[in-house]
Amino acid sequence: MDAGLAEVRALQADIAALRRACEEPLAPREETSRVQKSFQEIYQSDSEGWKSSKDLKSQLGHLESELSFLSTLTGINIRNYSMKTEDLTSTEMTEKSMKKVLQRHRLSGNCHMVTFQLEFQILEIQNKERLSSVTTDLNIIMEPTDCSELSEFVSRAEERRDLFMFFRSLHFFVEWFEYRKRTFKHFKEKYPDTVHLLEGASSHYMGIRSASRPGFELLIIWKIKIDEEGKVSPKLDLLTKVPRRALELDKNRVIETAPLSFRTLLGVLGIEAALESLIKLFCTEENN
Amino acid sequence: MEQANTLCHDGKSKGGVLAYLERLETGVNRSGKQREELQSAQAVGNALATKIRKLRCLRDKLRAEVKQRQARVKASTTSVDPDQTVEISEQEVLERKQKNVKAILQAYRFTGLSGKLTSRGVCVCINTAFEGNLLDSYFVDLVIKKPLQIYHHSVPVFIPLEDIAAKYLQTDIQHFLFSLCEYLNAYSGRKYQADQLQSDFAAFLAGPLQRNSLCNLLSFTYKVDPRGQAFPFCARLLYKDLTVTLPTDVTVTYQGTEVLSTSWEEQRAAHEILFCTKPLHQVFASFAKKGETLDMSLFS
Repeated sequence: MDAGLAEVRALQADIAALRRACEEPLAPREETSRVQKSFQEIYQSDSEGWKSSKDLKSQLGHLESELSFLSTLTGINIRNYSMKTEDLTSTEMTEKSMKKVLQRHRLSGNCHMVTFQLEFQILEIQNKERLSSVTTDLNIIMEPTDCSELSEFVSRAEERRDLFMFFRSLHFFVEWFEYRKRTFKHFKEKYPDTVHLLEGASSHYMGIRSASRPGFELLIIWKIKIDEEGKVSPKLDLLTKVPRRALELDKNRVIETAPLSFRTLLGVLGIEAALESLIKLFCTEENN
Repeated sequence: MEQANTLCHDGKSKGGVLAYLERLETGVNRSGKQREELQSAQAVGNALATKIRKLRCLRDKLRAEVKQRQARVKASTTSVDPDQTVEISEQEVLERKQKNVKAILQAYRFTGLSGKLTSRGVCVCINTAFEGNLLDSYFVDLVIKKPLQIYHHSVPVFIPLEDIAAKYLQTDIQHFLFSLCEYLNAYSGRKYQADQLQSDFAAFLAGPLQRNSLCNLLSFTYKVDPRGQAFPFCARLLYKDLTVTLPTDVTVTYQGTEVLSTSWEEQRAAHEILFCTKPLHQVFASFAKKGETLDMSLFS
């Protein structure tokens, strides 16, 4: 069953990548020496009416470095964008020197492993005093689709027609996602026998158990929350599994208060040190 | 039993499988539940197999499509007279690419942050919006040298730009810009609400709207029903946190000498909560709606 599910996921990823390849503009990927030579010729025999290709090339290089700067700054990589406008000005409005235009925008790109496709409409109304621009519709398609933490946030952004919040929160969400993944992976590599990632490093929980302490298990649940205002924050919880006899011996109710103590520990040590200290509890008998 | 034991040294699982097979062979009557479980497991297995088949089909179709596109591209560039057509198609390709990149650069304004590289460094443009309304934009012109400097900007003087720059500019440009975005968007949002109140709901105001330039301290007198005999309330809205668009402190008071009846006292308290939880102009929009169905008994 697991092999089947894994294959389904791999196929879905392939399909998404192929779809993206279909979107890219038709352009020859390789520059052969033949093409390079003809560039020289074009530059030398510069005819009026055409900008020299070399100029165009350096212009393009400049634009592309602008693009890469913005992509790094915002954390968002926009790959495609197109816009159509529709003039909705009625004759009545023209008389009052008013103008009404509907813009339809289509935008797609990715933020690390999350890809998005946006379609939104902006209504621009110009009257004598002011110009108002309102986002009147917003549709967002995200991939991967099975990330429940994101889908709620996406519907909220669509409802509010809040583009900026969508992009800003997406960027921070993905940052936290990648950080969680790196952290889990790091601990799995450092303590391979004690740390267990049942659904891989991208999932939201990490198990801690050891053969030297059978019957005991700690489960760290690390969720990434996006609140009403779009603020992204991590939420960590601890679940314990303990043999009944141990519970009976636990006079100080340490197990019962563990989840609360964990929250305090997080506040004092920070996420990584707190998790490592819990993992080390299960490792004390092994030689380091 | 013995058979099972002798195979145990290979691990528990083998003994278990053998035992299972033995049970099948002897044809022990399975309970209806076991049969159902088997059937449902088979059904899930089948559904999964079908899904995998469908996805494989789609993937192969897309692969063929991508191959076709690549072939088309190759054909168009290698087909006819090399000198002439290569020159034109290269030019065309570059121009198309340039157009595409220019469009994408334009599109970045929809993320709230966009910019241009300058000879000195970079000029970043911050766009603001509130509830889908696209509002003013501001720019910050940065000079790339050590230390990073702000050469030029259009940020209003009452926004604590120097404080934010002192905290983040040298260590993390992104943090600096995101933080500035927060302040500017919040200011734009508050300003929008105050402007809307003044323009669309002036009838409800019993005096001028008093506001400071940061739009984080508003004071006004209003009547829930502009035409009727409603009591005028004085509202004072304070937005202590400059990164929010809803007030942190609201006081609604009655300035008259008479004692408020319970129903009006309830309204007053309710309004305090309303102003804290809904944008200003929406509160008044709800007053306008209620006005259409106002219960006359409130005026007794």
